[in-house]
Amino acid sequence: MIYAQNLRHRLLDIESLHIGGGHTTIIGHNGSGKTTFLKLCAGIELPQHGTLTISGKEPRAVDIGWVGEVPDNNLVFRTVYDEVASGLRFRRTPVDDIEPAVLDVLSDMGILHLSSRASHTLSGGEKALVACAAALALSPELLILDETDTHLDRKAADILETMIHRRPAPCILQCTHDMDTAACSDQVIYFDGGHPRYAGTPDEVFFHLSETEMYPPLWRIAECI
Amino acid sequence: MHLNADGLTLSHGEWALCADGVFGEGVHLVTGAVGSGKTTLASALAGIFEPTSGQISREGVLRFTLSMQFPEYHVTGFLVKDEIRSWHLPVGKTLKKSGLEGRENEKTLTLSRGQLKRLHLTCLLGNSWDAVILDEPFAGLDCREKKRICTAIEEGNHPLIIIFTHEQAVLPVADFIWEIEGNALVCRGSVPDAIPAWKGAPRYLTRAMEEGAHPENIRLQDATEALCRMHD
Repeated sequence: MIYAQNLRHRLLDIESLHIGGGHTTIIGHNGSGKTTFLKLCAGIELPQHGTLTISGKEPRAVDIGWVGEVPDNNLVFRTVYDEVASGLRFRRTPVDDIEPAVLDVLSDMGILHLSSRASHTLSGGEKALVACAAALALSPELLILDETDTHLDRKAADILETMIHRRPAPCILQCTHDMDTAACSDQVIYFDGGHPRYAGTPDEVFFHLSETEMYPPLWRIAECI
Repeated sequence: MHLNADGLTLSHGEWALCADGVFGEGVHLVTGAVGSGKTTLASALAGIFEPTSGQISREGVLRFTLSMQFPEYHVTGFLVKDEIRSWHLPVGKTLKKSGLEGRENEKTLTLSRGQLKRLHLTCLLGNSWDAVILDEPFAGLDCREKKRICTAIEEGNHPLIIIFTHEQAVLPVADFIWEIEGNALVCRGSVPDAIPAWKGAPRYLTRAMEEGAHPENIRLQDATEALCRMHD
């Protein structure tokens, strides 16, 4: 689905990378190029060299849901309801269909009680959940989540994970520092110094990281039982 | 030396949080659900959010600081070296500690979010404080950096540290656990006795306890050691 070739942009240097459909998680240390790669996939930045296509199209021609890592930057509209409804309005969804769709996604995310709240009064975690709801309401072809779970408690992170599986986008690209979350995805890519060093199933990738602090804590516990 | 929340009520519109408790010397971990009021309480304890009622007293606490969730809010230096100097710290040594050697002339706000967070925390923990309040110190950091910050917390010379977090993988050795539950701050007690009652415990700790283990503290290594002891 996502194909990058001879891609160079700032510190990123990717000779060839293919990401299939399903849920892919990108892991790596701070400054390894994870967010830069996600921004290229979202069409927020254009590569200095090389090509990146999604289903054979330029990223900007694809229906993408983007949730960035800074919760404050994700929300634009005055209330939570307006924030989630905005994408549907821009798409010219029939007016009668908007309200049920917004309430449905807010309910699924467990944040229906925030519907009338002013966006600026939300906590960091609540803003992250609202941004996810706004992206999911549009049923995008590609959903990109950049460290969204960093602001969520365990329960909220579980709700987000459930939602991702309940309203699956054809392709979900997520970046996280929670290795237990990464271990539940279909594919994991480990970025190191701007390169995708390991890519494969969680078993394949974490095999290489078993002696590091990046090994999933729950796997570490399971090995002691 | 202690920080005392005496009959505190914090409110935003219809939402309110009650907090009553004494934070003595040691490392205190405060957890709570998204929107439960962790940041509001941290701000109140630091004196930048006015309580609706009650009062906060800081006995013996002369130098204290708050690390906000978003590191961008702390930046005052245009270049990385300016930022470090604003904390009255040596540039070379601080760059090395934060793993940013050779980047002193870069614009501070061009660092990645994780790099900015670790620069900020290195600068903050590199100073001497009586009390440090850390709001989500691990957000945006990779596992290696989280461990480094934990070590800095454990080895630092700050008598009183309060950490507000929902981190699930890398935590420091803690002395006390608190939770925000049902709009009130609840003290679970001192570690390790408080661990079984900790509802927001990380998954690895919960899993180890389900197996009958009794970890001595809250880190992953405490959980694995407790499990290994069971098999010995």
